[in-house]
Amino acid sequence: MTERPDHTAELENLVGSAAGPPQLAPHAVNEAMIRHWVEAMGDTNAAYVSNEAAQALGLAGVIAPPTMLQAWIMRGLRATVEVEAARASGRPAGDTATDRMMTLLDDEGFTSVVATNCDQSYARPLVLGDRVVVSSVIEAVSSVKKTGLGTGRFITTRLDFAAVSAQTVGSDPDPTEIFGRGEPVATMRFRILKFAPAAVAQHKGAQTLVAESIPPALRPRPAITQDIAYFFEGARQHKLLIQRCAACGTLRHPPLPACGLCRSFAWDTIEASGRGEVFSFVVVHHPQVPGFEYPLPIGLIELEEGTRIVADLIGVEGSEVRVGMPVMVEFIEYDEELTLPAFRPRPEGAT
Amino acid sequence: MGEQKLFFEDVKEGDEGPARSHVLTRTDLVRYAGASGDYNPMHHDEVKAKAGGQPSVFGHGMFSMGLLGSAIEDYVGVANLTRYKVRFAKQTWPDEELTTKVQVTAKRTEGGQNLVDLDVRLVNGAGEEKLIGEATAALASKV
Repeated sequence: MTERPDHTAELENLVGSAAGPPQLAPHAVNEAMIRHWVEAMGDTNAAYVSNEAAQALGLAGVIAPPTMLQAWIMRGLRATVEVEAARASGRPAGDTATDRMMTLLDDEGFTSVVATNCDQSYARPLVLGDRVVVSSVIEAVSSVKKTGLGTGRFITTRLDFAAVSAQTVGSDPDPTEIFGRGEPVATMRFRILKFAPAAVAQHKGAQTLVAESIPPALRPRPAITQDIAYFFEGARQHKLLIQRCAACGTLRHPPLPACGLCRSFAWDTIEASGRGEVFSFVVVHHPQVPGFEYPLPIGLIELEEGTRIVADLIGVEGSEVRVGMPVMVEFIEYDEELTLPAFRPRPEGAT
Repeated sequence: MGEQKLFFEDVKEGDEGPARSHVLTRTDLVRYAGASGDYNPMHHDEVKAKAGGQPSVFGHGMFSMGLLGSAIEDYVGVANLTRYKVRFAKQTWPDEELTTKVQVTAKRTEGGQNLVDLDVRLVNGAGEEKLIGEATAALASKV
C-alpha cells in the first residue's frame, strides 16, 4: 500500500459544521436567467417564460424550473477561476469549513471530484422577485472507500434554501440576517466523491471510460436473478431487505421462489433493523481472490428478525470476532454498480 | 396548488409519462455552463478534458437532472413536484441520445396531500442508465 496522509479525525470534526456563512444569490429570480436556463435545457414549457401562460395554468405568474435551484446561488466564472487557482497552488481558497475540508482531502491525494447523488425537496416554486439565500452544512464525510473510479471519500452537503422578497434587501445586505427571516423554499442534499483517480488508461472511445479506469481488483459481481434482485436493489438504497411469505408471513433468507412452510409463491419484503449477532464466522486467509483484503472475516449473522445472512465483518480483526458479538449493518459502495451490506460490531445495548 | 394537468384519480401504478429524447451536443454544454454558472472546464474545454484523462468533454450531472426534471414536470404539471432525487450513475457524452423514463410506482395520501411516487431514469441509446432516481408530486383531486 502507498502511504497517504490520513485526516479522518480532522474531517470527522468538520461534520455538522456550517460549510460557510449563508450565501445570498447575486440576483433576484428573474426572467432573463430563467430564459437562458430553459433554452439550454430545450424546455419549452411556457409557464417558465410567460406570465399569461402561467396564469392560464392557475399560477400567480412565471415560476422558475425546480431543478434550476442551484443556479441561483452559483458564484460565477471569476470566483470559480480564483478558487481553482488557489487549490492548484496548494493554498486554501478561503477560511470556511468547506475550504478546510477540500484542502484536507486534496492532501490525502483525493484531488478529483465527481457528483454522485442529488436530492432536492421543494416547499414551493420560486417566483419572480424572490431573492434566494442558502445556508450549507457538511452532513457526512465517509471513511475511505474503494470505488470504480478510484479510492476516495464521499461528502454529503445539505443546502437549505430560503427566500425573501427582493424589495426588502438593502444595498449592503447581511446574508445571515436575510437567511434568518427568509421563508424556507427548498432543501438539497448533494453528495460528491473526492477521489484519487485510478491510473488513466488509453481511451479507445467515450463509452469505455468508466470500464477502463476501474482498477483491476474490482469486487466480483453477484449473479442476479429475478428472485434475488430485490436484495441487491435494496442494498443500493442502503436497505437490508428480508423476503416474507405473503400468505403465511414467514420470513426467509437466502431468497427462494416459494415458501418452505406453506408453499406459496407470493412474497414481499420487509426492511430489517440491521441489528443482529454473529451466529458463526470464518476468517479467510487462502485462497486469495482479487477485490478483497485479507485476512477477511466473514460472518453468518443472525438478524433480530430471525433470519441469517452471510456478509463481510468490518471494523474488527479476525482474531477479535466472537460468536454472539452484537453487530450492526453498514452498506459499502464498492463501485458505481455494487453496494453490499457488511456488519460492524456495535457496543452492547447500542442501537 | 400547481398546474392541474394530471389528476390523482387518473393515475395508476405502472403508468408512464411521455418520454423526451435529446441528442447532447457540445453547444448544449456551453449554453448550460453559462446558464447554470457551472464553469468546470471538464464540461466545455476539450483540451483540458483530454489532459484530465477524459476522452472528451462530458455533460454536467445537473444538466441531466434538469433534462429528466423537465419530462417529470411535463407529465405531472408544473409547480407540483415536492421531491426529486437522482444518482449520477454514468457520465453523459456529446452525440449520445438521452431519453427520459418516468413511471408511477405508488400512490398515497399523506398530510392531506395526494402524492404519486415516480421511478425516473435517463438512458442513452444503448440502454445505459445515466440517472436513476425517484420523484414525488402532489396532484389535484377531482373530488
